[in-house]
Amino acid sequence: MDKQQILETYKVYLLENGKIPTSVYSFCKLLNITESEFYGFYNSLEAIERDFWLQVFESSLTQLEQDPIYQNYSAREKLLAFYFVWIQKMRENRSYVLLKKDNLKLYEIAKNNVLDDFKNAFYKYVDTLIKQGVESREVKERKYISDKYKHGFWLQALFVLNYWVEDTSNNFEMTDAAIEKAVDLSFRLIGEHTMDSLIDFGKFLLTKK
Amino acid sequence: MKEQENIPTGKVERATRFVSAGIKVGGNYVKHYTKKLLDPTLTKEDLHEDNAKDIYNTLSNLKGSALKVAQMLSMDRGMLPTAYVDRFSLSQYSAPPLSGPLVVNTFNKTLGKSPQQLYDHFDMHACNAASIGQVHKAVKDGKSLAVKIQYPGVASSVSSDLKIVKPFAIRLVGMKEVEMDKYFEEIESKLLEETDYKLEVSRSIELSESCSHIENLVFPKYYPELSSERIITMDWLEGKHLKEFVDSNPSQEVRNKIGQALWDFYHYQVHHLRKVHADPHPGNFLMRDDGTVGIFDFGCVKEIPEFFYENYFRLTNRDIYKDESKWKQIYTNLELIYPDDTEEDMEFFSRLFHKMVDLLTLPFTQEQFDFGDETYFKEIYAYTDYVSNLKEVRNSKVARGSRHSLYINRTYFGLYSILSDLKANVKTKFVPVVLQ
Repeated sequence: MDKQQILETYKVYLLENGKIPTSVYSFCKLLNITESEFYGFYNSLEAIERDFWLQVFESSLTQLEQDPIYQNYSAREKLLAFYFVWIQKMRENRSYVLLKKDNLKLYEIAKNNVLDDFKNAFYKYVDTLIKQGVESREVKERKYISDKYKHGFWLQALFVLNYWVEDTSNNFEMTDAAIEKAVDLSFRLIGEHTMDSLIDFGKFLLTKK
Repeated sequence: MKEQENIPTGKVERATRFVSAGIKVGGNYVKHYTKKLLDPTLTKEDLHEDNAKDIYNTLSNLKGSALKVAQMLSMDRGMLPTAYVDRFSLSQYSAPPLSGPLVVNTFNKTLGKSPQQLYDHFDMHACNAASIGQVHKAVKDGKSLAVKIQYPGVASSVSSDLKIVKPFAIRLVGMKEVEMDKYFEEIESKLLEETDYKLEVSRSIELSESCSHIENLVFPKYYPELSSERIITMDWLEGKHLKEFVDSNPSQEVRNKIGQALWDFYHYQVHHLRKVHADPHPGNFLMRDDGTVGIFDFGCVKEIPEFFYENYFRLTNRDIYKDESKWKQIYTNLELIYPDDTEEDMEFFSRLFHKMVDLLTLPFTQEQFDFGDETYFKEIYAYTDYVSNLKEVRNSKVARGSRHSLYINRTYFGLYSILSDLKANVKTKFVPVVLQ
């Protein structure tokens, strides 16, 4: 028995019954392990759900990092590639995600912590992208604001996720288009743009006097 | 080339693009007349040039079917001032490509493998745009390949695109909306076919095999196992696009050879296969110095119904005009005139079409035809110009011409204009099967 098996069994149970097991006790019976063995892997049923999101994220990242092309991508392209692979992985679990879709709305996420582990890992990942972006001048460092970029990207990831959940187009083509647009917009916002020149100009006028 | 990161897919967004082109065009008029105040020598041509540029920029941002319509418009030289034509012709060669990760994603989604796994080498930068897709160069087993990839969401936006393009096209071509309806239906069905790359591969293989006996034609080999509904892999063809080729000053002999090959290619398809490569825009042909021409892109194939074929090609026989009931029957069958037309309308339009048919079928009636003869084409342009400016034509509420004639006319017009640019002298005489 390992974590993966428990996660799989949990998903299958949920997909077939439409609801979560009544207790850890009843779930352990299904797994044929003792409750105390179970706690060696997860400390609650909810922890399994948290792990699902983290695992999808991590397996996407592992797949990307094995790809030599990915290594040469710019920060913007890396994020694009990530979303594409992430959605691709999610496809294998679409039924499960759809069952849980009410949990994925923005106002729900604030209340539960199902996505927390995934979120923390995502923050770490996006931080490396932002650093790379700053070096390659794709991203502009701005006082006080730069630290918040990652929160923006998190919202973007949730947008992509929710868009895909609602997507009815063939092969989820519209999600592909949505990803391209969303990423393009975000990198335009955090790149050097008119606003910076405007602020710079304003500062210049003020200090000149 | 600057990579384009997004295609506007929402209807609203696409519509906004057109609006912004409209504003720019309006601005160009203002600019034009202010400039003219300062510099009276300025001509309308400059204004057209400005407008065409803005419209082209808008269309190339829209990609997909809008770009396709631009390509179609660009071929009706008679209908548009030359500056529009020059700009629109650009759309036949290049539009900004999509991002690398999306290309990889399309491969993973439809073929289950990344381009790096499928080919020995795959160039991530697109080398060409193909209106609803882009072309990448790849190498496998020492062979150079051309890989065409379709933009996501094109098929789902075809219909909404056409609705947006419609009023725009009507203004540009100066046609009535009712007249356009049946044609737009035809265009829509053809465009939807073109988004089906699987169909394109099977048609390409079929048509290139049945035309392989024609001299001086080169067809790429297609690889169905490396193709999907969004991807087509074929041999990479060497050669030059029309304009580049003509600029390299090929000898008259080479021009004639290529011209003849193209003429024979279309002749064989229309009269023997009754299915024709209906997209003869210069981007689909690669010409080489040895007088051979590479042909690809069978996305747009028009099947010619027997009834239409018989009537259409009877027009190439001048004898029909000796018998009034005969030509009137043919005109009616081709929906050029209608039984419920008034006497004057019948008379008026028959005269117009008679002259038009005489002009356009001229090459068919001669043994040999010199497409380098500029006076011939000037006469055609002048006449279409004259016709489209006639009050009776502009006010006509009736659609004249069968929907099938749209792509067939376009095919011949495209062929004529390529042959004219080539200044090729071609053996053209033929007797249609139906007349024998």
